[in-house]
Amino acid sequence: MPGDFILEVHGVSKRFGGVTAVQRCSVALETGKISALVGPNGSGKTTLFNLITGVERIDEGEIFFKGERIDHLPPHKIARRGVGRTFQLIRVFAELTALENLLVVTRQDWEPSYRRASELLTFVKLDRLRGEFAGNLSYGQQRLLEFARVLMIDPDLILLDEPAAGINRSLLNDLLSAIRDLRASGKTVLIVEHDMKVVMDLAEKIFVLDHGEKLTEGTPEIVLKDERVMEAYFGR
Amino acid sequence: MRWLALLIAFIILAGLGTMPLYTSNYIITFTLQIFMWIALAESWNLISGLTGYVSFGHVAFFGTGAYTAAILITKVGWHWLPASLMGSVTAASLALLIGYPCLRLKGPYFAISMLGLNEVVRALVSYFDSLTGGGSGITLSPMNSILPLYYAMGGIALAGLVITYWTITSRFGLRLLSIRENEVAAEAMGIPTAALKLYAFLISAALPGIVGGFYARYVSHIEPLGTFPLITTVTMIVMCLFGGRGTIFGPVLGATLLSLFQEWAWARFLYIHEAIFGAIIVFVILLMPRGILGVLQQRYRLPRIV
Repeated sequence: MPGDFILEVHGVSKRFGGVTAVQRCSVALETGKISALVGPNGSGKTTLFNLITGVERIDEGEIFFKGERIDHLPPHKIARRGVGRTFQLIRVFAELTALENLLVVTRQDWEPSYRRASELLTFVKLDRLRGEFAGNLSYGQQRLLEFARVLMIDPDLILLDEPAAGINRSLLNDLLSAIRDLRASGKTVLIVEHDMKVVMDLAEKIFVLDHGEKLTEGTPEIVLKDERVMEAYFGR
Repeated sequence: MRWLALLIAFIILAGLGTMPLYTSNYIITFTLQIFMWIALAESWNLISGLTGYVSFGHVAFFGTGAYTAAILITKVGWHWLPASLMGSVTAASLALLIGYPCLRLKGPYFAISMLGLNEVVRALVSYFDSLTGGGSGITLSPMNSILPLYYAMGGIALAGLVITYWTITSRFGLRLLSIRENEVAAEAMGIPTAALKLYAFLISAALPGIVGGFYARYVSHIEPLGTFPLITTVTMIVMCLFGGRGTIFGPVLGATLLSLFQEWAWARFLYIHEAIFGAIIVFVILLMPRGILGVLQQRYRLPRIV
């Protein structure tokens, strides 16, 4: 039913030279749910993220966000419409402080921005490091900072590319709980994650990609029983 | 602390403002040149130090300003001050024209395109000899006193400093820094990087435009080879890097220290002073890529207002 899906990807393809990274892929994300995009390395998960956020241009197909076509927009306009993301390879602003990393992305006045940034830094337990250059933080701290940065722009759809990578178990639990809180507050989340435990823990729906094509989709229980998924992952 | 900073600034400005009353012409001329380098290094800092887009053709804006002013002075009869201001308008217009396509290029491609721009502008200046005097250049009547230029150049150096201060302490500056740190992430976070780069480029080009106008008035004769030399761009880059790219006072520090050093080395090592300058370039790039203030900022967590 129209309006149930915050994001609709229709028959999208992307080629890099002779390599087809994504092929006629269609995905629809239900508003207010946590979904996961899984698949073996090179299956096109991150490329699909890049296509949704405008970092890469699609070769064919259409992408709609809240019913409006966005595949022709530059990344900053897509972000301003409410699509935020993190990156597989962390991209914090290394020579900006942790606090500045958050302040720089918001369009609000300084005072509310500062307040919100402080809340988020406390939330990801980086408050005491607010004045530290982001490049001096540990890998896990940088990932949390990137997570806080995406929350700073208050997007309706949040794309998290391997959010659990490099984060210790105690921080990971906090992160998973934060992602669930996002869902509870009405946000839609799409995660790319290799840790199937995290996926099973969070996702209400899973999309499986293989060789750039969507293999299957469904609830975690159904997807994990699918023979094709087992074959794509484990080669049997 | 704020009052102390204002007091120090006042003392420095008062000292520089009254300097012509008690110093020799040599010192005044030398200080004027330092002002020029401060303004040029600050201008380079605005685009390259903040966004990371390394411009190897910044002297093109300087030369464009110089020729615009010289033509308006000699052919239209304008006073050198409005003529120089028009030089900044011409330089900014050139930046607008080439900024849109060139700022889409990344890293070395942008640097090379700017290098090419300088050669194109120099060739055009040589070609349109009825307007520019071709290879012979344009000669202006000498000035009776250098003092008006001293104050004008000092004013533009101060303006460069104030613009940099305003930029770096604003969200605009923070966003330019985010482009330098990771343009893809900045764009994906809703920052309109293409527009911001262009704004920075325009401001960055306008400053050398006006400085070029003052320079033309100062030297009273300009010709293509002497007005568009690559070494001018290299010098402003080195001064900015030496003091600290992306900082407010780094270009001031770099321009002042390196000008003093060049003057000292020139007087003592006439034949090898350029080799010494070259060695400093290598030293800075290899060992101190953040520059003096950049290193201090990192080590002692100095606020961004340095």
